[in-house]
Amino acid sequence: MAIAIFFIAAAMAVAGAVGVVSFREPIRSVLSLVVVMLALAILFLLLSAQFVFVVQIIVYAGAVMVLFLFVIALFGPSRELARTRLRFQSWLSGLFVLALLGLIWAMLQGVQYRQPDKGVDLSVFGTVQAIAVGLFTTYLYPFELTSILLLVAAIGAIYLSRKRIDDL
Amino acid sequence: MSLYNDPIGHWVVVTVAIALLLFVVLTATAYTVWFERVALGRIQRRPGPNRVGPFGLLQLAADGIKLAFKESFVPAETDKLLFVIAPTIAVAAAFLSWAVIPIGLWYNVQYWIADVNIGVLLIFAFSSLNVYAIVIGGYASNNKYSLLGGLRSAAQLISYEMALGLSLVPTFMIVGSLRLRDIVEYTVHWGWYNGPIPLILLTPIGFVIYLMAAVAETNRAPFDLPEAEQELIGGFLTEYSGLKFVMFYLAEYINMITVSALAALLFFGGWYLWVIPPVIAFFIKIVLFLFLYIWLRGTFPRLRYDMLMRLGWKVLLPLAIANVIVTGIVLVATQG
Repeated sequence: MAIAIFFIAAAMAVAGAVGVVSFREPIRSVLSLVVVMLALAILFLLLSAQFVFVVQIIVYAGAVMVLFLFVIALFGPSRELARTRLRFQSWLSGLFVLALLGLIWAMLQGVQYRQPDKGVDLSVFGTVQAIAVGLFTTYLYPFELTSILLLVAAIGAIYLSRKRIDDL
Repeated sequence: MSLYNDPIGHWVVVTVAIALLLFVVLTATAYTVWFERVALGRIQRRPGPNRVGPFGLLQLAADGIKLAFKESFVPAETDKLLFVIAPTIAVAAAFLSWAVIPIGLWYNVQYWIADVNIGVLLIFAFSSLNVYAIVIGGYASNNKYSLLGGLRSAAQLISYEMALGLSLVPTFMIVGSLRLRDIVEYTVHWGWYNGPIPLILLTPIGFVIYLMAAVAETNRAPFDLPEAEQELIGGFLTEYSGLKFVMFYLAEYINMITVSALAALLFFGGWYLWVIPPVIAFFIKIVLFLFLYIWLRGTFPRLRYDMLMRLGWKVLLPLAIANVIVTGIVLVATQG
């Protein structure tokens, strides 16, 4: 059962990723990216990471992608311009794909399939409580530093988008 | 239950449970529409539907048949696929929330599809997908009013989602669980009193924020700007007709029942009400909340768009954050 769900979700993710780059209408690309996000969420759930699953849906599918959609809907139903190709484009892309596949192959050399660690209680692993204990004890400093980083980014975005007094 | 532990029996049980729940929610939705029309009628001093069947109870069947036989019109030069997908997403997102909502049937007997650790968060996840239905519907209609309605709605839903989520955090902090059953079963031991307590007594501000944000999240009056008929015709619904319109309509009413049920579960002790049998108590609480929604719609004028944004970002959100901080301080002070 889990295997079947894994392959369905993985196929969804790959199909969505292909859709992102191959659709000519920007809005369809965005929706394909949403499919990728949802498929990734299912994969997290298969790994017993319930909290990450739901956060993936709320944050990525529910908030980040909606902002993408918002911007593209504001531009209106315009199609991408007719294809203009670089010279040697197909050769270059083929080369990059080969390099990427080689990198992945090299990375996977040391990986071995293994069972989940012994002594992990799957009914507790990945629950809200388990994540909270990790975040607020072991990883407290990285967690708080990340929140400051996000705050700085938000303030920076507000500063950049505000109108200058002398521009008005 | 032995049937439940058997792998095939498990799937049979779950499938039957889902089918039953679908039936109950659909029926409830139909009669919510009837209830709204009658209540709104009485608020406006007119009788409301009273011709089809006793008390007009079959009005919804008549409306449904009429809408089903209508021509399903698709405007020219639209994205046909997206135009059809939008109402589908709306209905699916609305129904999925009911997977984790427990229904108290009798003392110690509850009915639920999934009793998961992440509970309420899952409802937020599904309801956050609802915004796609509205934006895609508005975009695919190839109509400026639809597009404006869809964009307004996206901004409104994102703004109020955060206030809605934060309004519930104090509840989770007090109970220490996101599981809806744990929240309903929450009991206190205060001196001589030992027993369940409606959580509104502990987080009244959270309840007020939840109530306002939930109205905005379901696009109901007085926050129904996405479909403000005086300025936007029908917003994202303008080009929809026939069964696709029914699906959007259905989704709106399911969401209304969902937030009413959530309010009853999170703040009013769910199915507990003195000696009244649980299923009736739960029903009464949901109906009271539905009536509150209808009452709001019949009484308040629509907010202006800038007022809506100001309320969401400058009032509800800071209030919700302050509520979380104060609750945290009180919890640490009392429990150590």
